[in-house]
Amino acid sequence: MVKERKIVCRCEDLTEEEIIHAIEEGYDNLESLKRYTGATTGACQGKGCLMHIIRILSQKTGKSPEEIGVTTQRPPVNPVPLYVLSEGGESE
Amino acid sequence: MRVAIIGAGVMGLSTAYYLAKLGAEVTVFEQKYLLYGASGRNSGGITPMIDKKELIPFALKSLELYDKLPAEVDFNFLFRKDGYVKVAASDSDAEKLKRDVRVQNELGVKSRIIEPSEVKELVPDLNTDSIVLASYCSESGVIFPWPVVWGLAKGCRENGVEIKDQTAVDEIVVEGGVKGVRAGGEFYKADIVVNAAGAWSNKVSEKAGVKLENKILKEEICVTESIKPYLDPYLYDITYGVYLSQSARGEIVGGITGREVEEISTDSTLEFAARYAKRATQLIPKLKGLAMLRQWAGVYDEGKDGLPVVGFTEVDGFVQANGLGKHTGMIVAPALGRELAKLIVKGDNPNLKEFSPRRF
Ligand SMILES: Cc1cc2nc3c(=O)[nH]c(=O)nc-3n(C[C@H](O)[C@H](O)[C@H](O)COP(=O)(O)OP(=O)(O)OC[C@H]3O[C@@H](n4cnc5c(N)ncnc54)[C@H](O)[C@@H]3O)c2cc1C
Repeated sequence: MVKERKIVCRCEDLTEEEIIHAIEEGYDNLESLKRYTGATTGACQGKGCLMHIIRILSQKTGKSPEEIGVTTQRPPVNPVPLYVLSEGGESE
Repeated sequence: MRVAIIGAGVMGLSTAYYLAKLGAEVTVFEQKYLLYGASGRNSGGITPMIDKKELIPFALKSLELYDKLPAEVDFNFLFRKDGYVKVAASDSDAEKLKRDVRVQNELGVKSRIIEPSEVKELVPDLNTDSIVLASYCSESGVIFPWPVVWGLAKGCRENGVEIKDQTAVDEIVVEGGVKGVRAGGEFYKADIVVNAAGAWSNKVSEKAGVKLENKILKEEICVTESIKPYLDPYLYDITYGVYLSQSARGEIVGGITGREVEEISTDSTLEFAARYAKRATQLIPKLKGLAMLRQWAGVYDEGKDGLPVVGFTEVDGFVQANGLGKHTGMIVAPALGRELAKLIVKGDNPNLKEFSPRRF
């Protein structure tokens, strides 16, 4: 039998069930949940999954998405190869 | 005995854990969430190959504790002991490595000097022309800092410690001696208040009326996309301050050691990314095509003479537990926390005398 798996984060291969489990273990704010599960930290850096994670957190904790907030966006916006970076930065 | 600990980083939590085991009633206050401080932002390099002799016994003890703690608290710290390599890119730094290794060996650290060709056996794609000499210690490696914090927090709670996150300590109440703290609008009575606030320690100390002049350092760091297991040891270039290692998730994590700053800031800069990428790809040219996914920064503190500040102050009941220093905080915290717990409960601990706040 194939168990229904609702994938919420493709990069880290996380299911809705796993996210809910983590919230129940006490990782019930966005910053902790993201670090504990790895959601939003994969190749897409949250572009694909952040909204799902916020929805699940909201449903489980009763907090509004506004209360939950969003995680800090860190540079770079898109992945940049090191050889490109190493040619930047005039200082030194 | 009631103890209030300010800061839920690796120092505050280690101290709390061992205090609770000695029977104290402990509350830990964290202004934000667990992992907000340097303990949640660092690169997890763990080695007794340190250039400050006072810290070496604590590093050796912490290595033992890092072996024991995961079973004690039932949480895997993902400590991968594949060695630690320090490389020097100048003749004077090569001399420094030699001097440091001599001192380390005298104190029981099994480190040794190795030639670039031997480094290449440990780091297959190393460009041997980019370095002069190296030192190596096999009983070292990379720990994942997040499970360290989560695991210690779990151990704390299971021993009765209350951890209050999103609760900043706004006031330390002192009347003669310490009476307690005010946090989140409430008063908490305490016989002992411990300042384990990392980069914020100077500010926290001020609240108790105690002068503390730790240096504040900001350090930037980044990760690349994940690749299959490739880089075994932790690699630290002491000349450029550039370090890199591979995380449990396969990312190459790397940064440049901290610079002193006036104000606390965790901004990321392009200048860092460029400087890091340049040196990292000189050391291992094969990394050139790897993409950087994310960069961030953390802040930590160091005692003004370079050593941690741990122990009783002139205000009765007010205890410092900060200044852990550049690339040594994760290494020494478990052992320091354990010794500090003994100091607090017994009133004295000769093992900590070099770190006494009263030395200044
Ligand atoms: C990028 C980077 C890489 C590093 N690499 C290494 C390494 O490889 N090896 C190594 O050993 N070390 C490394 N370090 C250093 C190490 O991370 C720190 O020394 C260590 O984490 C400090 O722990 P701490 O508990 O003293 O401080 P922190 O972890 O910063 O904890 C202090 C906590 O106090 C809280 N706080 C502050 N003020 C208040 C208040 N008023 N009320 C309540 N809470 C408050 C803060 O929010 C914070 O969470 C690195 C650091 C950085 C930034």
